Amino acid sequence: MKMTQVSYKLNQVQHYYGDKKVLDIDRLQIQKGSITGLTGPNGSGKSTLLKIMAFAQKPSAGEVWFNGRLEVPLSPRVRSRVTLLTQKPYLLKRSVFDNIAYGLKIRRDRDNLENRIKAALENVGLNYDGFAHRQWHELSGGEAQRVAMAARLILKPEVLLLDEPVASVDTKSAGQIRRASLAARRDWGCTLMIASHDLPWLYECSDTQISIANGRLFSTGRENIIPPPYDLSQKNGPVKWLGTEGKAEHIELPLKKKTDGFAVIQKEKIRICLEKEKGNWDNQITCEITAMLIEKNSGHIMVTVHARDFSLNISFSPGQAAGLKLLPGKRLILMFHTQDIEWR
Amino acid sequence: MDFIVAGFIRAIELLINFDHSTYTAVSATLQASTCSMLISLGAGLPCGFLLGYFNFKGKRALRTILDTLLALPTVSVGLLVYAFISSQGPLGQFGLLFSLTGIAIGQTILAFPIVTAITASIVENIDPELKLTLVSLGAGKKNIIMTCLWEVRYGLLAAAVTAYGRVLTEVGISMMVGGNIKYHTRTITTAIALETNKGQFADGIALGIVLIGIAFAVNLSLSFLRKQ
Repeated sequence: MKMTQVSYKLNQVQHYYGDKKVLDIDRLQIQKGSITGLTGPNGSGKSTLLKIMAFAQKPSAGEVWFNGRLEVPLSPRVRSRVTLLTQKPYLLKRSVFDNIAYGLKIRRDRDNLENRIKAALENVGLNYDGFAHRQWHELSGGEAQRVAMAARLILKPEVLLLDEPVASVDTKSAGQIRRASLAARRDWGCTLMIASHDLPWLYECSDTQISIANGRLFSTGRENIIPPPYDLSQKNGPVKWLGTEGKAEHIELPLKKKTDGFAVIQKEKIRICLEKEKGNWDNQITCEITAMLIEKNSGHIMVTVHARDFSLNISFSPGQAAGLKLLPGKRLILMFHTQDIEWR
Repeated sequence: MDFIVAGFIRAIELLINFDHSTYTAVSATLQASTCSMLISLGAGLPCGFLLGYFNFKGKRALRTILDTLLALPTVSVGLLVYAFISSQGPLGQFGLLFSLTGIAIGQTILAFPIVTAITASIVENIDPELKLTLVSLGAGKKNIIMTCLWEVRYGLLAAAVTAYGRVLTEVGISMMVGGNIKYHTRTITTAIALETNKGQFADGIALGIVLIGIAFAVNLSLSFLRKQ
């Protein structure tokens, strides 16, 4: 699929809850018809970003451009085009039929309603006769999630934002929701942005992946966050302890100028070996491979390694991966210089 | 105990024989309370929604005042309305004193804070996911307001029943503003008070039965609506 048109452009978007800055995005651009995977720990700002992109929340500062126009929440130009499905969506206190029909009814689009609802239910693997007339409280969590998905898909949105859509549903429901969301792009070129902890699925289905931590975006696989807490009390400079504070294994960080921010290291600055080496490496960290995924577009292998209490994602070419004989569970040594770590 | 049993028998006789004074009291009660409830709901539901939904400067102070008004003594309302509609008051020329309209005004003042405060609390406690869902489904401002109100309809019904219960059972306003005039402004509660003072327990019990019956009928119809 050729993707040249820009769907979203976010400029200098910041959002605060009280005094706490939860989102700080310098620039983000989403192509029309693309699938973007969004990863990040809980509380990192994924949901806030998706709410802002769904025009359900106004950012504290910054601009959100949609289809080349600066837009605000409840603008008629975005209302019928962008939809968001959250992890625990709210079903209206009415029947499944009325829940799915709601979006169409407020658009005064009542043509062939029954058949369209039938198709929408089947799209998420639910039988019309068995479910259409059930009340909202007569559904399991997975069924409710699928009904919520059907209520959005029936609108044939231009953009579908999914906030951890399969995090709290059973395997069958998760499969149906995944299939239905991918079909949306295939059938009408829907732009998708999917926030999920299910990395294998995200890497399988998305064209690009971005990660978010403390409200800031990072490019997955190419740069890695060394997450806080940082020990700023050491004489020789800040330190990230691995495991219990004061234990021998730690990462030496460069001097910090700002009070906030993250330590970030580029993938190409990390040397990976099977054994510790003698030499002038500031940091030699023992880690273990916990997951290996194939990137859909590049064919590269995304390797997740865990070093005590944090993990890194590193992208390898198939040749590099074969050379190092990478396998889940294998121990590796990550080596890098303190001067190559940046504060952001 | 005998007089209570006799009272019940007399009550049934009064009701079966369509006793004029009993039925005019019932009619006066229903007229005044229906009128006051319609006005209270018409004004209180939107005000409560605005108060619960939006954040603005002075909201907390307004809520405190409203919550205080929930416990408004009926005699105080009666006194206030009396002062305004008596011949010496600013609304004296309208001739509202000792009329059902006067009672309805007082009862509206009584019911309005109840409807508004309970609606505001219900709206404040609406699941934040509801608004997010509605926006996600393409709802505009009007759709959001109407759907939010529909989603909390059972809570709003409870607000209406609570206010109706207070209006139906108040004595102070009806007595002070209505004057307890037989066949005219005598309501069920003022009639019960008067008949009991006169030792006419039968009449009092008959009216009491009607009052309980009305409350029961209102709750029954609301419970039927909930099932629908």
